[in-house]
Amino acid sequence: MEACSEPPLDAKSEVTNQLVDFQWKLGMAVSSDTCRSLKYPYVAVMLKVADHSGQVKTKCFEMTIPQFQPLLLATSSLLSASNFYRQFKEIAAVIETV
Amino acid sequence: MAAGEFEGGKPLNGLLNALAQDTFHGHPGITEELLRSQLYPEVPPEEFRPFLAKMRGILKSIASADMDFNQLEAFLTAQTKKQGGITSDQAAVISKFWKSHKTKIRESLMNQSRWNSGLRGLSWRVDGKSQSRHSAQIHTPVAIIELELGKYGQESEFLCLEFDEVKVNQILKTLSEVEESISTLISQPN
Repeated sequence: MEACSEPPLDAKSEVTNQLVDFQWKLGMAVSSDTCRSLKYPYVAVMLKVADHSGQVKTKCFEMTIPQFQPLLLATSSLLSASNFYRQFKEIAAVIETV
Repeated sequence: MAAGEFEGGKPLNGLLNALAQDTFHGHPGITEELLRSQLYPEVPPEEFRPFLAKMRGILKSIASADMDFNQLEAFLTAQTKKQGGITSDQAAVISKFWKSHKTKIRESLMNQSRWNSGLRGLSWRVDGKSQSRHSAQIHTPVAIIELELGKYGQESEFLCLEFDEVKVNQILKTLSEVEESISTLISQPN
């Protein structure tokens, strides 16, 4: 029995985590002590992630709308790539059995 | 001290740039003395200091109110009419500076007011996991996203997440809900 997966190339973190929970809110920054007229919408995200040992950590971050778009696009591309990979492998597997 | 002692033009533009770096973009370290000797060498330090403070105050007021061009013109005109205010030359330089740097300064102000981490970058990859048991082959794609997060003025932290296809689908659905919220917010008149 063999199991193979390529090690992450160029990954800057040593550990990959599983996503346990994804919460979000859309906020509007109105004003602050340094800027009376901020007026920008932002997306705040709270992730719960579990490492290999099962330990769960919370990660919070914020994005402006222009920063959110690439995340949406990347996830969409990720899905397409996953689909493509799976279909490709299925075809290859079928061909092998012929 | 007459406002006219301080020429507008290149020296003032340089001064405004340095002030913006210090006040908004988080790059302090340009000293008052360095600025004076580089940009206004003929002006004595005790006169330069209040001038610098005045320019800093004006820039901060403009940025804080996120002035549009009408507000800017009205504000600067008022400053030229004030006792100890600015010259119309200086007003013109400040106006030009704000128009070309407004977006960047606003972005810095947004970053400064965010006390959570921001999303600085992301990259993704799909890996293939192949397992063979006897002759059956199972091919599972594994999606990997690496998020680069960081707080204002601090180093980045990298978060690496792994998903199967089902999870990617769920996340995409959630992100689409976020996008729908954004569209609703933007389409509402305020």
